[in-house]
Amino acid sequence: MSSTTEVTPSGATGRGSSPRGKGGDTRPASNPGAGASRRRQGLAAWTLALPFCLLFLVFTAWPVIQSLFMSFTDTRSRDLRTPFAVDIVGLDNFTKAFSDPIFRKSMLNTAYFVVVGVPLTMAMALAAAVALDKGITKLRGLFRLGFYTPVITSIVAVAVVWRFLLERDYGLINTVLGWVGIDGPNWLGDPNWAMPGLILMASWRNFGTGMIIFLAGLQAVPWMLHEAAAIDGAGAWQRFRHITLPLLRPTLLFVSVTTAIGYLQFFEEPFVMTNGGPLNSTISMSMYTYKQFGFGNYGLASAMSYIIFVIVAIVTAIQFRLLRENT
Amino acid sequence: MRRTSAAAVATLTAAALALSACGRDNGGGAGSSETAKDISSGKATGTLTVWAMGNEGDILPDLMKDFEAANPGVKVNVTAIPWDSAHDKFTTAITAGTTPDAAMVGSTWMGEFAGLDALDPVPPSIDTSAYFEGAQKTNEVNGTNYGVPWYVETRLIFYRTDLAKKAGVTEAPKDWEGLKSMAKAMQDKAGAKFGMGFQAGGQGSWQSIMPFAWSDGAKLTKDDGKAYNFDSPEMLEAVKYYQSYFTDGISDKAAPAQPTTEPDFKSGRVPMFISGPWMMSAVEKVGVKKDQYDVMPVPAKTTSSSFVGGSNFAVFKKSKNRDSAWKLVQWLSDPKVQAKWYGMSTDLPSVKSAWDDPALSGDPKLKKFGTALETAQAPPSFPTWEQAVAGFDTEMEKVTKQGADPAAALKSAQQQAESVGTGQ
Repeated sequence: MSSTTEVTPSGATGRGSSPRGKGGDTRPASNPGAGASRRRQGLAAWTLALPFCLLFLVFTAWPVIQSLFMSFTDTRSRDLRTPFAVDIVGLDNFTKAFSDPIFRKSMLNTAYFVVVGVPLTMAMALAAAVALDKGITKLRGLFRLGFYTPVITSIVAVAVVWRFLLERDYGLINTVLGWVGIDGPNWLGDPNWAMPGLILMASWRNFGTGMIIFLAGLQAVPWMLHEAAAIDGAGAWQRFRHITLPLLRPTLLFVSVTTAIGYLQFFEEPFVMTNGGPLNSTISMSMYTYKQFGFGNYGLASAMSYIIFVIVAIVTAIQFRLLRENT
Repeated sequence: MRRTSAAAVATLTAAALALSACGRDNGGGAGSSETAKDISSGKATGTLTVWAMGNEGDILPDLMKDFEAANPGVKVNVTAIPWDSAHDKFTTAITAGTTPDAAMVGSTWMGEFAGLDALDPVPPSIDTSAYFEGAQKTNEVNGTNYGVPWYVETRLIFYRTDLAKKAGVTEAPKDWEGLKSMAKAMQDKAGAKFGMGFQAGGQGSWQSIMPFAWSDGAKLTKDDGKAYNFDSPEMLEAVKYYQSYFTDGISDKAAPAQPTTEPDFKSGRVPMFISGPWMMSAVEKVGVKKDQYDVMPVPAKTTSSSFVGGSNFAVFKKSKNRDSAWKLVQWLSDPKVQAKWYGMSTDLPSVKSAWDDPALSGDPKLKKFGTALETAQAPPSFPTWEQAVAGFDTEMEKVTKQGADPAAALKSAQQQAESVGTGQ
């Protein structure tokens, strides 16, 4: 075996020239020279990939493995200095998480947030995209910017504004409700209304991303199909329902998957608006996990993180199944 | 293929080695009390790294100039840390062995850090009886002092004197019944929407409830300070009393998550609340005049008591300049320095004799805080306190907002605290 310093440059050249040499390469490895050169190439490839592999192993794979390990142990914050001097407790952390009433409550809250929030966000995004695509012709750029601005605005600034909007006595939302004779609820102070308040805010904040993607999808819908259908007497709604929506299916899948993954891990909204209250009505799984990390229960918190991970994976798989192409 | 299997064997071996090293080392560790060796005499020398949080971190460098002038040859580097990330930064530093020489430490973190074997016990030449007893207690973990209180705060009841007069109350009530009828009178006669601005449970509400429980003689620990004690009869009395404000409509069940205490105090919507000394400047900033309001001690059931908070100063075991670090702590505890620090930061002195300074003794409202500090109490210094009390706060939210049975709520809080354990 030759030294690496010698191999690297020649290996690198060999790799670079390989597409050209492909035709002349004898496939069967009976030729000893070809075998040696392939080994050299393989070594060179590994050498080049080594920095990435090391970084990946140290900073991505290792934390994942360690957190997985932690979820099966009774690690607490005081064990950080000796991360392996802990007791393995098997699935205790997982049973503890599922038997914790607040964690179960947080699972229900998260489900509520996703089940209501994802369709609402997608409906708003699609409506805005269709309006920008067909309806709004003047100042289109301005509207596009306006709809997208909430996405790039800091949640902290958004929270301040929304706290005013959702204020019980003089908030804008309740004032408008008052005009039509509705006595608005105490949004963030009432356990039944805090979650709808947060869903409203999250949908408003996130629909811009979906809108941009839908807009791209809409522009890929061939105009001919609409024209042909119109000639056959299809109305606007029928054309939208039977031409636009089916062609948008891959886009819908993408937006629903990304939105659902984001919403399953929702954290910032309750963190800045309600701190999980009132009466834990807005505490999410991520937020409760964060709290457990804060209390120093690293084992339990890691187990909760993996529960969230598994739920995200399952929900995503279901979405792929429901929205896949019909063949 | 060969390479793969070699890698697999290596990984498995590493994993096996790592796993075989698992399991707790049960001998020694925290739990036994330590004795400290004394510090050398003479002036402080060398370089000191000091961490401090929030506003204190920003202005401490100015005070350190005085220390450097008094001790030629010492250089103090202050690192300001935001409160939000401070706890993480400390635990990371303790794990990595990169702690500062000395630092301001939140009073509820002492148990945890001492449990991590990170703090140096207080040397005998520092007189711990000079500090307010309740504040000093937060430094005591398993019978050893691991730091000294640096500044303190306590909770009193704020009320609008002009509206109280309108409600027919001229003298601050001394007992629980008196306080409640005063709050009721504020509603009935002085036009207040709510008589008392109690927090309706939720995070941190124990700081409003415990002053009443302590004023009834409640203790938060039992079995020689080895276990939590949330369901004592005194606690139950205090929680029932606290709940009655909500059931009688004197306090707001549905107060917003972000309290509007100062504007409500100014407008007279909620003319009474319980809070700490920083609220004096906060309410004056929104336009409440100095003679329009006053503070009063928490009315007693047996003896008046309140909650003492604040921050401690501790020296870390890893410090290479331990003696000088303790000399800095000693200097910070000097009554004159404490009074000067009050002038710079408005942090209340933790040293009793510093309160003789005219800047403090001349202000009648501040003086009441000083008096309250003598009997004020702190929660136990268990590393799990924050988690245990989070369960209590949630139960209190049910008590105030949903009218849950106080006895059942306290029982549940106690069960949660017991399942968390003291962590010692």
